[in-house]
Amino acid sequence: MIETFDLTKTFKTESVETIALRNVNIVVEKGDFIAIMGPSGCGKTTLLNILGTIDDCTSGYFTLFEQDITRLNEKQKTSIRKRNIGFVFQNFNLIEELTVYENIELPLQYLGWKKKDRKQRVDEVIDQLNIVHRKDLFPAQLSGGQQQRVAVARAIIAKPPLLLADEPTGNLDSMHGEEVMTLLNELNKSGTTVIMVTHSQRDASYSRRVIHLFDGQIINENLNKMV
Amino acid sequence: MLGNYFKTSIRVLVRQKGYTMLNIVGLAMGIAVFTFIFLYIQSEIRYDRQWSDHHNIYRVTSEYSVDGKVEKIALTPFRLSNDFNDGFPEVVSATNMFFTDPSDVNDVSSVTYEGHVYEIPNITLSGHNFFDIFDYEFIEGNPDTALTHPNTMVISSKIAREIFGDESAIGKKLSTVVREYSIVGVFEQKCNPTHHNFDAVVSVSSLDKSGLTRLQNDWYWLTCYTYIKLNDTTDIDRFVERFNAYANKQRSELSEEENLEIDGYFHNNFEPIYDVHFNTQLQYDSPSNINITYLYIFGIIAAFILLTASINYINLATARSLKRAKEIGVRKVIGATKKQLVFQYISESLILTTISFVLALSLVELLMPQFNQLVGKELTLVESIFSGSGLFFGLLLLLSIFVLALIGGSFPAFVLTSFNAATVLKGSYTIVHKIGGHHFSAGVVRKFLVAIQYIVSIGLIISTFIIYAQMDFLESHDLGFEKDNIIVINSPDDTSFMHKLPKFVKTLSKDNSVLEVSSAMNVPGYTESKMLFYVGDTADQNIQALNFYNVGYNYFELLKASIVKGGHFEYGSYNDDYNNYIINESAADFLNLDTVIGSKLNISFNESFKEGTIVGVVKNFNFSSLHREVEPLVFLLNPRNTRYILVKFDKGKEAESLAHIRKVWNDFNEGSFLHYTLLSTKLESLYKVANNMLSLFAYFAMFVVFISSLGLYGLTSFLIQQRTKEIAVRRVLGGSELQIVSMLAYVYLRVVLIAGIIASIIVYFFMSRWLNTFAFHISMDGWYFVLGTLITLIIAFATVYIRSRKVVKEKPAVSLNITE
Repeated sequence: MIETFDLTKTFKTESVETIALRNVNIVVEKGDFIAIMGPSGCGKTTLLNILGTIDDCTSGYFTLFEQDITRLNEKQKTSIRKRNIGFVFQNFNLIEELTVYENIELPLQYLGWKKKDRKQRVDEVIDQLNIVHRKDLFPAQLSGGQQQRVAVARAIIAKPPLLLADEPTGNLDSMHGEEVMTLLNELNKSGTTVIMVTHSQRDASYSRRVIHLFDGQIINENLNKMV
Repeated sequence: MLGNYFKTSIRVLVRQKGYTMLNIVGLAMGIAVFTFIFLYIQSEIRYDRQWSDHHNIYRVTSEYSVDGKVEKIALTPFRLSNDFNDGFPEVVSATNMFFTDPSDVNDVSSVTYEGHVYEIPNITLSGHNFFDIFDYEFIEGNPDTALTHPNTMVISSKIAREIFGDESAIGKKLSTVVREYSIVGVFEQKCNPTHHNFDAVVSVSSLDKSGLTRLQNDWYWLTCYTYIKLNDTTDIDRFVERFNAYANKQRSELSEEENLEIDGYFHNNFEPIYDVHFNTQLQYDSPSNINITYLYIFGIIAAFILLTASINYINLATARSLKRAKEIGVRKVIGATKKQLVFQYISESLILTTISFVLALSLVELLMPQFNQLVGKELTLVESIFSGSGLFFGLLLLLSIFVLALIGGSFPAFVLTSFNAATVLKGSYTIVHKIGGHHFSAGVVRKFLVAIQYIVSIGLIISTFIIYAQMDFLESHDLGFEKDNIIVINSPDDTSFMHKLPKFVKTLSKDNSVLEVSSAMNVPGYTESKMLFYVGDTADQNIQALNFYNVGYNYFELLKASIVKGGHFEYGSYNDDYNNYIINESAADFLNLDTVIGSKLNISFNESFKEGTIVGVVKNFNFSSLHREVEPLVFLLNPRNTRYILVKFDKGKEAESLAHIRKVWNDFNEGSFLHYTLLSTKLESLYKVANNMLSLFAYFAMFVVFISSLGLYGLTSFLIQQRTKEIAVRRVLGGSELQIVSMLAYVYLRVVLIAGIIASIIVYFFMSRWLNTFAFHISMDGWYFVLGTLITLIIAFATVYIRSRKVVKEKPAVSLNITE
């Protein structure tokens, strides 16, 4: 599904050049559940953002569904992203001005779905994630766990084959964290490929494969024992 | 999708109530003031454009030079209209209208109808062609035949209503002390403005035959306004040339006949009727005329006000959009295209500007009565928008609002959406504008825009100070005579009053409250006469022109004007046979005589020259506005020909003396209204335009300062938002409240200071030109500039202080948590 070839990313300021990723080569198969781990600043989020087409690499390239993404323009990337990738962030990144229902519905609007179809699909997902009774509330009225549930609902609303999660439990207590991880696990079981950045060994234990990054390089890649 | 944009926009605006209010109110006020100024300018530009053939209508004016001194006068000889009608086929119609003293607000005529006396503020005389040229709307009578017969009168609908109520006015008779007039027409006074200033017109044929004959033969006696309508094909330049050649030939024949030699020229100019309102160069012209420069200044101020409000809007919109960066990032992540985002933010901006626009027009409608009072007009928004250029303006304003919405909305739309989503979500971005190949951060661009706002604010404040100081200077300037405690009474229309005048004056003096009484044709501040004269016994020397005052006995004592040589016109001191003159020092210099006292001066008088003797020299005093230097002036003792009676009363006894005047007036002039003015009030009115400008500038300055402060308040809010953590850290490290507020204030205060320097240079340039329109004026001291800038700095600091005080006082722990 995804294959990277010497993916490198550097950040330049006037005096300093920082290498965030150095010749990263990974392969992600359809149906994988990968956890990317490593200390702060090792390049985990940068890698996830590049794979999610919301950031660019400096050199190297990668393919998604056998298509070289680095050759695409912004418009093409947006088109691929909205059809194939769902995002879950540590800090939820819900739009404050929209209700739960509207936040979840938004990707379908950008995909140009008809209102009737959108309603049917949103109802289905909020039912699946058990947030029906909160659909008219605004994000600020929800707890962290509930917000992350909404964020997951929004990420999967368009049934993307790939789900990218950046520290999805980082802002949650252990109980809510557990709930979210169970959710991701279920999604993966139902066929969604999941790539997750995490600090938590416990969260990583849900994955099939763990990639360890250090100073922008893959230092270790192993199959999870639990699998 | 549109619904989603709209919903989000409304929720964002509601959630950020404070900023939304700042944005909407600031912009709405800007648009409202801009609209007011536009309506004012539009009402001025509309002067005399309502006449159906206005492109072919001209007013004829006179320009002459005698001995090198050029005079430009709005009046012409009476006969010109006849000459035009008889000898120039390209003239479709020509008419004249008699001069009524535009400087005299009490130039009122009394008429009697069924035993009641009514006042008509302005009566003039004109020929029957008048309504051919000026198509006034008649609600009664026929404009084609009106004024063709002697003793006929056309009145305004207002006067008709006042005198006749709902009855028809046609055929009704109104009497003055001279004769009876039959009403032949009633015209509607529409709000279309014109430089004409009359409430009634009497047919010129009503004048007695001998007077008419004299007028019809004279080429030099300037008594009337002359108007002509030319046919479409006339080449105006060639026509002017042809007419002046004809007129000069006639004049030189006349001079030869009378053996006069005048060193100079006489020329008639033709000005398009719609330019008359903007000509302030001519003497004896309409007092409502204005210098078009004022309109340009107002136009520029209006543009700057809209610019200031727009800058506020853009600054607040861009600062506010920083808060939206995360939202943009999220939307991008979940699949929004750039086009969709651009559309969303521009439509949001459009909602905001539309609300401001609607609010602005409501404000204009609401405040229209106050505005009308301020500018002395009767404007209505709806009528102004649907007339002439109003519709164009409306569309232009709408378009500019749309452009503003585009600019305000395009910052978040284009700049923020151009970042990649990962960067925006991380919050680590600097916004940079690319202008002409150079890169500027958004902060620099915002500061630049703030600088423009403050250049306008400080410029207006300094200008207001300077205008105020000049007006104060004019007020306190020693005119060379005492203007206070003098009542100027208008003589009645009744010609027989002149016989009663000596007794009237004597009776007026018999009250404790009255100190002096005098009579005169001319009073300082009113119009002066012009006379041709020559020095010595014969006309061999050149004939020259001089300003002329006809005055009665006791004139100089009453005004406390000092006589430097010779004597006063005391009662009984000289005969009243028009042959004694007192001249001012300026005239003495101008005449350059070896011995002034006793010199002979021959003055054009009733078609011949009359010899008189200079009996005194009066110290120069400012007999007209301080715009003019003290020009040469000759005073002729002429107590039998009077227009005004001057009463000097004891200080503090105005009411008492007025009661006495009223009583004496009623005894002498039964059935005639008493019209009077305080001389000081009349002299103040000479600076009406400058005074109006002062109040308008003061309003504009206050408004622009307010709107700039609103903007600064908003910008400070965002500055604080961006630096909350820094403020908390500084507090933890021991920074005092004042130190931190000063740190925040410094960001924009140095911009204000630079704006002050730039504004000072601009104001110095324009205000020195304005001051030079006064012959007597203040010099521009540095403190006007320092004070203007300082006041603005204080206001700006206060604005920052008020906004940041709460945050600075906040416990650092709270602030630090917020930004965690």
